[in-house]
Amino acid sequence: MVIHMVTHMMETAEKLSLLGLSEQKVKETLKNEALTALLTSIADQARAKGELTKSVGNLLYNLGTKLPRQFHSCLPFLVDYVADGRINQEAKLTAAIKFIQDHAMGDIDTAAFGKACGVGIEVSQDEIEAGVALVISKQKEAILKQRYRYNTGPLMGQVRASLQWADSRKVKEEIDLQLLTLLGPKREEDLVKPVKTKSDKREKGEVCAVLPVQQPEKQCVTMTEFLKTVTFHAPGDNHKTEGYVITENTHRLLKEHLEITGGQVRTRFPPEPNGILHIGHAKAININFGYAAANSGVCFLRYDDTNPEKEEEKFFVGIRKMVEWLGYKPYKITHSSDYFQQLYEWAIVLIKKGLAYVCHQKPEEVRGYDAPPSPWRDRPVHESLQLFEDMKHGKFDEGEATLRLKTILEEGKADPVAYRIKFVPHHCTGDEWCIYPTYDYTHCLCDSIEHITHSLCTKEFQARRSSYYWLCNALDIYCPVQWEYGRLNMHYTVVSKRKIGKLISEGHVRDWDDPRLFTLTALQRRGFPPEAINNFCATLGLTGAQISIHPDALEACVRDVLNVTAHRAMVVLEPLRVVITNYPNEGPVSVTVPNIPGNDAKGAHTVIFDRELWIELSDFREKEENGYRRLTPQQTVGLRHCGMIINVQEVVKTSSGEVDYLKVTCQPATDSNKPKAFIHWVAHPLKCEVRQYERLFQHECPEDPSVVPGGFLTDINPNSLTISVGLADVSVRGAKVYTKFQFERLGFFSVDPDSTPDFIVFNKTVGLKEDKGKN
Amino acid sequence: MTLSREMIETQLHDYTLRCEHAEKETDKLAACVQALEDGQMDLFTDDITDKEFINLINENKKLKYRISILKKSIASMGGERSTKPQDDIFSDHMCNILGQLEDIFRKAVLVAYPDVSDPVIQIQLSKHADYQCNAAMALAKILKKNPREVGEMIVKNVAPGPMIEKMDMSGPGFINIVLSQEFIRQQITNVIMNGVTPPPVTPKRVVIDFSSPNIAKEMHVGHLRSTIIGESLSRLLEFLGHDLLRLNHLGDWGTQFGMLIAHLQDNFPDFATKSPPIADLQAFYRESKKRFDEDGDFKKRAYEAVVKLQAHDPVHIKGWEEICTISKTEFQKVYERLGVRIIDRGESFYQSRMEALVKELDDAGFLEEDDGRKVMFADGAGIPLTIVKSDGGFTYDTSDMACIKNRIEEEKGDWLIYVTDAGQAQHFKSFLACAVRAGIYNPSVTRVDHVTFGVVLGEDKKKFKTRSGDTVRLVQLLDEGLQRSEEKLKEKERHKELTPEEFVKARDAVAYGCIKYADLCHDRSRDYIFSFDRMLDFRGNTAAYLLYALTRIRSIARTAGVNREEIVAEAKKKPIELDHEKEWKLARTILKLPDVLVRITDDLYLHPLCEYLYEVSTVFTEFYDNCYCIEKDETGKIVKINHCRLMLCEATAQVMEKCFAILGIETVDKM
Repeated sequence: MVIHMVTHMMETAEKLSLLGLSEQKVKETLKNEALTALLTSIADQARAKGELTKSVGNLLYNLGTKLPRQFHSCLPFLVDYVADGRINQEAKLTAAIKFIQDHAMGDIDTAAFGKACGVGIEVSQDEIEAGVALVISKQKEAILKQRYRYNTGPLMGQVRASLQWADSRKVKEEIDLQLLTLLGPKREEDLVKPVKTKSDKREKGEVCAVLPVQQPEKQCVTMTEFLKTVTFHAPGDNHKTEGYVITENTHRLLKEHLEITGGQVRTRFPPEPNGILHIGHAKAININFGYAAANSGVCFLRYDDTNPEKEEEKFFVGIRKMVEWLGYKPYKITHSSDYFQQLYEWAIVLIKKGLAYVCHQKPEEVRGYDAPPSPWRDRPVHESLQLFEDMKHGKFDEGEATLRLKTILEEGKADPVAYRIKFVPHHCTGDEWCIYPTYDYTHCLCDSIEHITHSLCTKEFQARRSSYYWLCNALDIYCPVQWEYGRLNMHYTVVSKRKIGKLISEGHVRDWDDPRLFTLTALQRRGFPPEAINNFCATLGLTGAQISIHPDALEACVRDVLNVTAHRAMVVLEPLRVVITNYPNEGPVSVTVPNIPGNDAKGAHTVIFDRELWIELSDFREKEENGYRRLTPQQTVGLRHCGMIINVQEVVKTSSGEVDYLKVTCQPATDSNKPKAFIHWVAHPLKCEVRQYERLFQHECPEDPSVVPGGFLTDINPNSLTISVGLADVSVRGAKVYTKFQFERLGFFSVDPDSTPDFIVFNKTVGLKEDKGKN
Repeated sequence: MTLSREMIETQLHDYTLRCEHAEKETDKLAACVQALEDGQMDLFTDDITDKEFINLINENKKLKYRISILKKSIASMGGERSTKPQDDIFSDHMCNILGQLEDIFRKAVLVAYPDVSDPVIQIQLSKHADYQCNAAMALAKILKKNPREVGEMIVKNVAPGPMIEKMDMSGPGFINIVLSQEFIRQQITNVIMNGVTPPPVTPKRVVIDFSSPNIAKEMHVGHLRSTIIGESLSRLLEFLGHDLLRLNHLGDWGTQFGMLIAHLQDNFPDFATKSPPIADLQAFYRESKKRFDEDGDFKKRAYEAVVKLQAHDPVHIKGWEEICTISKTEFQKVYERLGVRIIDRGESFYQSRMEALVKELDDAGFLEEDDGRKVMFADGAGIPLTIVKSDGGFTYDTSDMACIKNRIEEEKGDWLIYVTDAGQAQHFKSFLACAVRAGIYNPSVTRVDHVTFGVVLGEDKKKFKTRSGDTVRLVQLLDEGLQRSEEKLKEKERHKELTPEEFVKARDAVAYGCIKYADLCHDRSRDYIFSFDRMLDFRGNTAAYLLYALTRIRSIARTAGVNREEIVAEAKKKPIELDHEKEWKLARTILKLPDVLVRITDDLYLHPLCEYLYEVSTVFTEFYDNCYCIEKDETGKIVKINHCRLMLCEATAQVMEKCFAILGIETVDKM
């Protein structure tokens, strides 16, 4: 037995080495059973045609590894071409694979195939020499100038453009030879390494495993710009994507699909309406809506409302509001429940086809990965049909019966549940149903019904891709393509509905939109502009890896937007009264302040200057200190915008010896009396509340038990909220909710919905700089 | 100063908030108390932390929800065993519109008036609309309400569906129903594409007993009716999807075999080794009967032969088999001519079962001694059954009891049908009552129908006899039919237009078709007058006319040069368009077939199917007279073909062919 196995192994290894694999590579390949089987079958077929040369072997290996799985039915056809030398170079093989992908759904027209991949065309050495000479002569000047630093890569391409089937190695050799003839041997100057400029450095981000994303050359600013650079499949080219399953109906279904959509890109954002959206959803919204927008397509907002127990009206409304807040307009708003009848009828079709059955295993029996197989799997079709009817009619209690699909998920989980019983009314369908479809069953079918071209989802769902395709094909309906991207996780926060609920019920935060959270409503309340969130998502890219992001990265995007949009205002948080004894005017006067300094187009507003004003307590010190640049009895300070500097005349104290107010004198600022600093101030101020926030948690990952053994509730930062009553200049009077300001020297602030016409409440959005050293 | 004033304000704000909070709490508690008193738990579950209590509340909610689902399910099933999902009704089956409407209205009534049990839903054809529902009248009486109001309530609760276009009220409370045109077009299109398909029916195991002549006797015109009716019912039930067992209950175990075997021994002593060449079994029978009646010695030997036969003496069995084979071969010839399929299962089959049954009945104490006989009484059985004769032999009663037991218990029949003449009604009543008493037959589980028919009369309205006064032999009758059919066709000069093969085919189809149709188109329970003249008339409700009408319909498409595949392809492209009033009328008539068929299964009277067939042909004539299918110019050249009308012709032909097939009548392409 053992000997037999060894000889078997050796035979296999020999076959692999025929395909040009090194000994090491053979060993590695043998570990991959599927690939080994594929390659040995290729080797067997090719060997029947005669001895394999090394170059044929290499081509065969490339063929085996590069031809997408769904086209393997064409493999024997291609192996023949390679084995007998009709396809004898990499370029021809690439063209052949492309041809198969483009024409796989009909009979192969061998004449067209031969033409497309240059079968029988051999480019002679003379032709190569002439082609290279022509190209080099065109670039001669530049080559002579840059000598050996000249990038010869494009030359190859140019030669190949005229001589498509020229052997690339020969072309390369010819180019080198002709360059040598032209330039002579390398001189000393040719050996100096060119200094790398900064822009040459490629950011080494995570390598994208799944998505064919072309890394943008420069950082894209907006989502749409970024997504224009992403190359998913074109609508209707579903079958060319990796892992797509081609059936006898694929060709017809894709044709019908294109007729219905007119070739338009269709995406969807499918949240479950059982909670409110958070920063992670913002990524999904941006990718789905953004990809559609970037390709003149449409995006559906589909409430995936298959679990009536957890759904509430307010979530439906909230989700829609947030999508609109981010600036996107759904093409249509749909619900998975809109399709319940169709889904139900399809379930019957599956039962009739013997692809689904009613199972009575208890939920706890089926849980986990080593669940025992269902004893009900092979029950007769008519029995399942009857029992499924019984489920629908309420004859079974919850948990007594489920409908299961006869398929196995990638992760090895067998026969996922398609329908379960819930005696719960549904938000949309009322008391019509007591059987509800599962995510696994519903999701792909709804995508199919809506003719989604790109079903974009997070990486966790990669394991569901095969069942997604299986189900669409089992029903002979249009099958969209699923693409996965990495999930976004934010540090220093929790986003799960249950955990936020806990934070609220224990009084750590006020509500779902408490600005310390990372729900979208919280970010809105905190004053994050939607475009900043969108731009932030654009910076994340579409890599397959799960990304964990520090809030600073998001805040930086927010700052970028607010810097050029938020109007300036002066607000004093810890007031110190100042009385100008030599006030030069009769009464209050107006002072003009630019809305955004340096951008006159954004206009200006006025504030009042008067004899009595308030400055920050911290902007005055009784004793002079080294490096302290603001007001002291010995040191003047400038008042921003009004062109005055003040001088302490007298420090008036209370009976207990604390500073009560200052008597100062003022004088216009001139070049000669230039103060070391200018401070903000207010006169005739409005009283307002200012809420300032810090991170809600002390650790990056409050949910990680290795870092926070006591659970996330023990990691709360006790100082995450500071409320103070401040004095604001008159320009903020009447500001609408969510109006954003830059309070001079303090940071960005946004008007909170708690405000009343007489009393504005501000939330601090972000500070002015990432490092918040105050002095 | 400023600061401290602010502090006070802040504190005041704080106290106000706390106060407001306390007030809210008080209100909430008051509401809770109120809710508790009212028993409305849902209102304050948010504030309850007792897990068990919350779980109970949730469970209660779920149970309530389940009740509502179950109630709806019961209503949707209308209390019947019809659990076919919707898609089946409209794809695999033709829609039995009347039945479906009844169902829809029953559900509507149950939703509108959930307390009414088993409402009577009457739906009939209407002059003002397509159908009319009269349920409101009876219901109003029960509910003591205004019928119009009840009618409106029902209309309001009719579930939306593809079938009904609109409903309105007329008179005191009639609901007029107009079918959706879309629905009619789709249904007609389905007929063209899929042919005539049965309406949805729950399949049953049916054991049907018909024909059943006696061995060694000739089949006569009385057997004809049982054979024709039985065959036609079998075809109908098979079409509807039932599982049929067709049994020929041959009389092959009677005392007549004693004299036959004795006579055989005398005339063909070597019968055990060489099949006796009996050409005329009837003559052989008459001879032996004569000897039996006149020769005492022969009679004694005949009795001995019976005893030996029943004791399974091999020689006697051999003789019995020979006689049976000759007889069955004769019967088979007749069945072939009439296109009848049936399995022979004579009384002999039940011999061992009768013995076992007698013991069983005796052991259970059902049998009573009566003058040496063993009899069985039962409620409803006017005359007691004689289970065992005084000589220990069995009777028809015994075999029929064993037979029903076999058909229910061994053959697993859900539905037993016996087709015999009306004279046996009393006998059936008695043995069925006894079968119930013996626990063999439970009327609520098994359906048993005794399909009876009247006698065949001659044109003199007396029992059908030959001129010489003998009973009419079936073979003779069929031969005469062929001859008369041939004459009729020749009179119409058909032999000049048809090839010899076509002519023979047409002759046979007309002959046998007419005999069957004449029988089936009358109410079977009545006597009917047998008249070749009438049944071969090419006018009126006869097979001759209808077969001819069908060939004419078929010839329309043929003339247009359009074959069936092209018509089907046309229908697949898009549903048929109907425009002309006569087109609509024909379409509606075509769609009545499923209802006609379902109705027949209620009482097993077949004449409504004949009436329907005739109606289709007359409505078709109306259509054909008013609507051109093909337009020709003066030279006879076709200038326009109306494909939708050809589709309608196709559907009509399909329906007529299906009717003929059920009636057991062969159709021909030309005649």
